[in-house]
Amino acid sequence: MKHIFSGLLYSILFSPLLFSVHAFAQDATLIIRGKIVDKKDKSPVQHVSVAEVDADGRIVRGVTTDIDGNFALKITDPKNKVSFSYIGYKTITENIKGRSTININLEQAGGNLGEVIIISGKKTDNGNLAIADRNLTIAASKINAKDLEEMSSASIDQALQGRLSGVDITASSGDPGAGMSIRIRGTSSINAGTNPLIVVDGMPYETSIPSDFNFGTADDQGYAQLLNIAPSDIKEIVVLKDAAATAMWGSRAANGVLIITTKRGVIGRPVLTYTVRGVVSFQPKPIPLLNGKQYSNLIPEEVMNRTGTPLNTLTVKEFAYDPNDPYYYYNYGQNTDWLAAVTQTGFVQDHNLSMTGGGEKARYFASVGYFNQQGTTIGTGLTRINTRINLDYIVSERIKFRTDIAYTYTSNPRGYSPDPKKSEYEIRNVALNKMPNMSIYEYNEQGIMTPNYFSPASNIQGQYPVTYNPVAMAKTAMNKIIGNRVTPHFNLQYDIIPHVLIATGDVQFDINNNKNNTFLPQIATGRPTTETVVNRAYDGDVDVFNVQTKTNLVFTPTMPANHSLTSLLSVQTYDNKSVSNQALTSNTASSLLQDPSAPSRTQNPELNVGAGYAQTRTVGALINAQYGYKERYILNVGLRGDGNSKFGPASRYGLFPSVSARWRISDESFLKSAKFINDLSVRVSYGQAGNPPKDDYTFYNQYSSFGWSYGGLAAVYPSSMELSHLKWEVIHGQNLGLNLIMFHNKVNIDLEVYRNRTKDLLFKDLKIPTFNGYSAVNFMNVGTLDNQGWELNILTSPLRTDNWAVDFNFNISHNENIIREISPYYANKDGDATTNGSYLTFLQINNPFGSIYGYKFKGVYKDKDATLATDGVGKPIIDANGQGIYMRFNYPATDYLFQPGDAKYEDINHDGNIDYKDVVYLGNSNPKLTGGFGPTITYKGRLKLSGFFNFRTSYVVVNGTKISTTNMYGFNNQSTAVLRRWRNPGDVTDIPRAIWNGGYNWLGSDRYVEDASFLRFRTATLRYNLSSQMLKKLKIKSGSVYFTAENLVTFTKYTGQDPEVAPRGVTGPFTVVKDNSTTPPVISFTLGLTASF
Amino acid sequence: MNRKRIIHIAIFFVLVILASSCNKYLDLKPQDGIVRQEYWKTKEQVQAAVAGCYASLLADPANKDKPLSEYLFMWGELRADMVAPGPGISNDEMDITEVNILSTNKMTNWAAVYRTINYCNTVIDFAPGVMDNDNTLTKAQLNSWLSEAYALRGLMYFYLVRSFRDVPLKLKSTSSDNDLEQLAKSSADTVLAQVVKDLQTADSNAVTTYGNTVYDKGRITRFTVKAIEADVYLWMDKYNECVAACDYIINSGKFGLIAGNSGWFNTLYYKGNSNESIFEFQYDAQKLNSFYAMFNTSKLRYFSSATVLEDIYTVDFVNYLNRDIRADGSAVRAGDNLIWKFLGVNSDDMRASDASFAHWFVYRYADILLMKAEALNQIGGRGQEALDLVTTIRNRAHALDQTNTNPDPANKDALGEFILAERAREFAFEGKRWYDLLRNAKRNNYARLDLLINAVIKAVPASLQVSAQGKYRDPTHSSHYFPIYYYEIQSDPNLIQNPFYK
Repeated sequence: MKHIFSGLLYSILFSPLLFSVHAFAQDATLIIRGKIVDKKDKSPVQHVSVAEVDADGRIVRGVTTDIDGNFALKITDPKNKVSFSYIGYKTITENIKGRSTININLEQAGGNLGEVIIISGKKTDNGNLAIADRNLTIAASKINAKDLEEMSSASIDQALQGRLSGVDITASSGDPGAGMSIRIRGTSSINAGTNPLIVVDGMPYETSIPSDFNFGTADDQGYAQLLNIAPSDIKEIVVLKDAAATAMWGSRAANGVLIITTKRGVIGRPVLTYTVRGVVSFQPKPIPLLNGKQYSNLIPEEVMNRTGTPLNTLTVKEFAYDPNDPYYYYNYGQNTDWLAAVTQTGFVQDHNLSMTGGGEKARYFASVGYFNQQGTTIGTGLTRINTRINLDYIVSERIKFRTDIAYTYTSNPRGYSPDPKKSEYEIRNVALNKMPNMSIYEYNEQGIMTPNYFSPASNIQGQYPVTYNPVAMAKTAMNKIIGNRVTPHFNLQYDIIPHVLIATGDVQFDINNNKNNTFLPQIATGRPTTETVVNRAYDGDVDVFNVQTKTNLVFTPTMPANHSLTSLLSVQTYDNKSVSNQALTSNTASSLLQDPSAPSRTQNPELNVGAGYAQTRTVGALINAQYGYKERYILNVGLRGDGNSKFGPASRYGLFPSVSARWRISDESFLKSAKFINDLSVRVSYGQAGNPPKDDYTFYNQYSSFGWSYGGLAAVYPSSMELSHLKWEVIHGQNLGLNLIMFHNKVNIDLEVYRNRTKDLLFKDLKIPTFNGYSAVNFMNVGTLDNQGWELNILTSPLRTDNWAVDFNFNISHNENIIREISPYYANKDGDATTNGSYLTFLQINNPFGSIYGYKFKGVYKDKDATLATDGVGKPIIDANGQGIYMRFNYPATDYLFQPGDAKYEDINHDGNIDYKDVVYLGNSNPKLTGGFGPTITYKGRLKLSGFFNFRTSYVVVNGTKISTTNMYGFNNQSTAVLRRWRNPGDVTDIPRAIWNGGYNWLGSDRYVEDASFLRFRTATLRYNLSSQMLKKLKIKSGSVYFTAENLVTFTKYTGQDPEVAPRGVTGPFTVVKDNSTTPPVISFTLGLTASF
Repeated sequence: MNRKRIIHIAIFFVLVILASSCNKYLDLKPQDGIVRQEYWKTKEQVQAAVAGCYASLLADPANKDKPLSEYLFMWGELRADMVAPGPGISNDEMDITEVNILSTNKMTNWAAVYRTINYCNTVIDFAPGVMDNDNTLTKAQLNSWLSEAYALRGLMYFYLVRSFRDVPLKLKSTSSDNDLEQLAKSSADTVLAQVVKDLQTADSNAVTTYGNTVYDKGRITRFTVKAIEADVYLWMDKYNECVAACDYIINSGKFGLIAGNSGWFNTLYYKGNSNESIFEFQYDAQKLNSFYAMFNTSKLRYFSSATVLEDIYTVDFVNYLNRDIRADGSAVRAGDNLIWKFLGVNSDDMRASDASFAHWFVYRYADILLMKAEALNQIGGRGQEALDLVTTIRNRAHALDQTNTNPDPANKDALGEFILAERAREFAFEGKRWYDLLRNAKRNNYARLDLLINAVIKAVPASLQVSAQGKYRDPTHSSHYFPIYYYEIQSDPNLIQNPFYK
């Protein structure tokens, strides 16, 4: 297997060299001599390069002039030319014409040169071919990185949020380094692999971390890998949306493609650019919580309502407030704002220095950047150092090299989380729930504060991991991810027939190393030292080695007038290998010994040493041709074949065709008269793309060893079943697009309507009845899913005068998912109407995802009489004895009698019993419309003001924070809303009574389902470009300063922390979008400076 | 070089790349696992797979589910009257003790049992094929291994029938997605018939000894098979068959009761694998059980109910030295009602947390004697024989006179109650109490439903008494069995919920 690779490699790298070897085989006979002088003052010029160049412009041999300007050059082929070049002078190329002496007067460059403006149509690169925008047959949208440079974000995905229609990007939290979920046109797969393919400079860029690795467990987390690309290095981003476009990239592109192009060198003097940004960010105000006194009133009442007896403060001293017991009096007599105690002001500094320039032969872009962020939660941050060198070397007119090497180092301290899968254990959530009468620092028996954190082993609220001292956790525990990533990329282009047949070969290596260190000291948990959660040290390391190659042949034959044809043959290979190892130990001797290599305990089952290995390979071949007639009728057809090691031999290969076309109506004679139309085109496309399952080796029935023996016998068990029916999930994408450009390009409208029909939908971890021996099937093709919607993009420039320029951009889109067919294994219902906090969701064929079902909340039963059951007309229901019947819950299985002060739910069927029959539709969590808009106003090209808004309309979210802060069910702190809770018969309120671990006061009802439509003023930027006089004074080439404010205002009726809840919810038919706000998006202010020398 | 040649070479290279057997390049195998195609080649592999069936009794290999022994404890004890909730008890467990069980109760998830069944099925399906690959594997050796798998499968289904009544019967391994099934429930009778069939298959091939105490007590021998048979027949009210199975074990002369002296607890429970033992889950230092956390830590989940010492064993207030050796310091620690059976080294010292490897006792010789007694009593006319067996057990344990009801050997009801009470004393917290109660209650068409009602009165808090008793009087008697966990109902449309929980 390996030799195929190396063979491929050598063939790409060396084949063009082989072809041209013969050029060196000729005799050298002629020597040319001469003298070089300055044209003006006739002084000799030293160090001029004198070179023999062949017909392709390739340097055959060269010398430099001596101190007197003399040179002697041996010529290999008298038919070649001689070139004379020196910095600051114009380059001269002379034919030899049999001469043996050539004297040259070199003319100084600069001053005489006029500015050259090159006008050419904008092109969009799909990663393989650059096609003029006006001839695109596919749906793509593009953003210039310049538009994003003023934002405070560390990675490009954050900055893209809301900018492009049909691209939905949301952060999993506001913490530094948090992953983003990127969805292009929603989700056309409910397979876990729903992130788009990222292509950087023509080569796919791996963004996932092996799932068996500790911090890579959450898919969205792994996505922070985009951090490895510094935003300042990016020139442009193109999003390919329809299937005909993504067909180019095959199986990994089924969820869309994000094409990132980095900056490259341009011919000219070296230009040094330095940019610096400083950002300060603040945590928005949290929901108001009870203080210590109010909390200490609530809890005894809550317990009393359940047990009927008062809380015994002799044993539960947390609420004793007894000054004679100073230890408890002070340690549990505070009013601590735990959230504020773990919050800090966030800062970012971002420096970037780049140098670009080059000559005829070689061009370079080099950059180095340093980014440092302190998060708004104590203990979080991000440091990144990145370097990049992009080199272009033109060997001759027919051979070009490109070498790009990027290296990134990231260090990302995150808050320690006892279980990354459980958000309720996160520091901010624990701080939110923590009892406010508790002290941060411990008071001693005399009531004097000590510098130690107050971390009791347990108290009434529980113990680690349910609760702990969040300040101690944030300040003493460690959770750090360190990444080192090197991506060398080599590209060779050989024009087999100049301008007609061009071959390119790419090979990219990607060495991505991530290390995760965590340490949990005793003081953070307070637990006795015999337990394994004390001084627990983890070290995990994952190395991903990725080799990709791409060989392209582009054929552009000379065609008769009015006809054009470009065709492409591309062969791509991909080999990704990940090796991981990790160790988790506990009870190191001291909190200073933070590495598992220190002598420590490994014996318990959860402590272990582990290693993982996985490898994936794919091959793909693509044929694509674009034919145009008069630029009026354009047709593009393609066929892609994919092979993937994730499938068994039976279904390993797939063939996926695509076809797309564009008709430029505006060029038709009947529209020629409409002068105001610059372009009116209709595009249609159809394409297929195959999506493989996310995991490797699923087509094997795998056996594993037990972690223990039985009576000394080694034991083996079947750990996964063979998936013999697994096949490609195929997305059939259809797209209808309209482009309209009017009024001298002042109005630019794009409209797209699409439907992606996913057949043989892959589903991960499909539930199966456990009598099969497994509780889930890794992957199964379960049915057909439609993902459909529309997008509208409007770019306008309503005003353009000498002094003023006004641009206004607007995008809006809608997307929904509908199941058309589904396997009988797929459950049709989820959730449970008998459990507090749970909503019902149903799988309904031909209905969009996202509908939530639950009870109707009708307030609180004010007294005993209010709990009498009534029929449809409000008359009491009476039993056989003529007695009134009281409302019950879930008779007969639960049979709970509603009490005064309990939540009242609407008895829809008037049977005196609240059960699943009373569950009704409460709303849909799929936004009707999403989008963004913003103006840019420029004055004299120097002062620029731009703003950007984004919005979502008509969707509901389950306010999870409201549930947890008003349920009065456990010992967690609650919001101040519970101050108006029901306490005595006759109280009329909307907050039920407090009852510890009992009652049905927080069933999934419309009480927590809120309209989360919002309009957010996301960014506002004021930029000032320095005037030319000022620049001259400062002796710099260009310079500007800007100020940006982000997340200033959000207009919404939603009462939670942030209405922009990640739609990662809508990944399956049953997901209820629930807002369990962790760190909401922070308000930040950025001051930046750019200067070029 | 002319252009044509260049083009030809370029095309040649592309073709070479395409043709160089893609398939081989794409054929990757996991490096850190074994695949079935490479397994089932040698007898050692069969051995390891059989050991895997047993190892799965100790815990879930993927560490995602509770250990099977924990389920067996909960199913056998939580619904009965000997366990009281501790501070760490979950709502789901609490609901079971309070007879408020819904299909969403996680403790009713049967996945752990079916996981082991699947491992047994895998051995039954694939081990015979090894004969073709490994000439050193003898037919007798193969059959002996198969009998272990059959018997274990039978035992697992027997637990399911007693806990859920009607359950789906899956007898083929799930090794590929072709084997996935959406089964309907089989009636309890069908399942029990299959259990009997499995045990009979195992019976004829099982060994009587492996020549090693750990294996003899930790793996299925012919005596284990007989013990399961006895239990199954007793459940099926087939008393003569039960007596026959018990007699086989008794007559083998290989087992006896450990003398009730000071070393009794240490020998029987701490060390395990004693002469009295027939089948025990072999926890050891490298695989600890979860009982230490369940019964001892500050977040312990269960105490012994106060009635255990007061009513079941009773206390001799005159002479404290006169005590049932199974009571204080054995089943329970009197001072704090800790469930001592799995915690103690002897009656005074507690195990260290890293020595929590008390075995889970499935069958002991004492069980055989008491099962035989129960069967003899039901056969009728052999009451005295039964009473003698109970007396043997009582004498070994120095049972207190207060607990001797002196039943008339001819009075089936009275003797039956006496045997049931003796079983409670003998097998306290060994996961048998609820099944004992239910077996006796359901006999003769629920003639003794009062046994369950009385248990409810003892175990359920007063506020829930009425509703709990009402549930146990459900005329279909379905409420005595667990609901099918909602996960199963959701993922299998053919599965019908236990009618009481619909």
